[in-house]
Amino acid sequence: MSRLYLYGITRPRKVAKRLADQGIFLVENDGRAAIVSELDEGPVEATRRNLLAHADVVEQLHEAGVVLPARFGYQLESREEALEMLALPEIEQLLERHEKTCELTLKGTYEESVLAEVGAGLQPLRDAYRASPSVEVGIALGEAVGEGLAERRARDASHVLAGLGSLVLDVVRSEPAGELAAFDLALLVERDGVEPIEAKVEELSARLSPPLHFKLVGPLPPYSFVRLATPAVA
Amino acid sequence: MAVMQRESSAGYITRAPRSSGLADVLEILLDRGLVIDAYVRVSLVGIELLTVDLRVVIASVDTYLRFAEAVNRLDLRAVDDSKSVPDLVQKGGEEIAETKTKGAVEGGMDAIREKIGLGGRGGDDEDDEESSGSRSRGGSNDR
Repeated sequence: MSRLYLYGITRPRKVAKRLADQGIFLVENDGRAAIVSELDEGPVEATRRNLLAHADVVEQLHEAGVVLPARFGYQLESREEALEMLALPEIEQLLERHEKTCELTLKGTYEESVLAEVGAGLQPLRDAYRASPSVEVGIALGEAVGEGLAERRARDASHVLAGLGSLVLDVVRSEPAGELAAFDLALLVERDGVEPIEAKVEELSARLSPPLHFKLVGPLPPYSFVRLATPAVA
Repeated sequence: MAVMQRESSAGYITRAPRSSGLADVLEILLDRGLVIDAYVRVSLVGIELLTVDLRVVIASVDTYLRFAEAVNRLDLRAVDDSKSVPDLVQKGGEEIAETKTKGAVEGGMDAIREKIGLGGRGGDDEDDEESSGSRSRGGSNDR
């Protein structure tokens, strides 16, 4: 019996030829469908190609309807296991919840000039460092800049979330990755809320750029909002 | 990237309708997404190479020293600029200012690319192997 690789869960429908040609098919059960392909033995390699392929499948299907994207690497032992999974009431609840939603990711990054702004109040330390650029003074100065930057990050992230307001149904905040990263937000919005969000980001940018740069990606399937409230089975 | 840098607010927004690269999908696919405990069979190899160094620890000595250097450099630059302002004003100071901003931003983006660890930098190899072990253990716990 062949194992299946799970891309996500959707409603029964026709799979586009481009995906079908890649071996993607649906296992259906009572109005719910698992998006799968057959899988050889062994673990899935987290190569660039495989990761992008997974994203491509769920994002393409999401364009035309609800998709609950599975975590990368999710494998099912058999078709029967897929059917069992689809029968869980939690799956139906998630499909209903996300019928008209999508995820947008909004990341903020600072220009280096933010460091000068943050460092503006640190004149004594800056003078000391310029006079004697030792490791000790450098760490003291850098640490103070780091603290200032952390405050700045928190402040800007709050401004941004407040600015987006009630268009955001739910949000997942991640630690921003990178020294000059400002924030990393996953936003759950209605599909027809995407354009209003774009407009809000423009407004925020008018206030906060420079030094803040925004990157807005989506509409994506609700990657960050498909955690089950309670595990289906302990 | 440089094309994006304009005075208008739109110049500071990068817009992508879909995940446009590995950096966009990496964390989202590995950290997020549907998992149902009873059926979890997340079995992976190769993740470590991609995720190592993705989360930059801000509170590191290296970072502090880089911050200190940057503040010092920007500071000195400000001093230099103020000296040469009379010259620049006549020749269009704006143009110069814009070029400088562009440079800073591009530097930032490079730094981020580097942080994402997409390039195989020699120094990461050790970490790769360590987290390789812990990642597989984490995987079996999930079951």
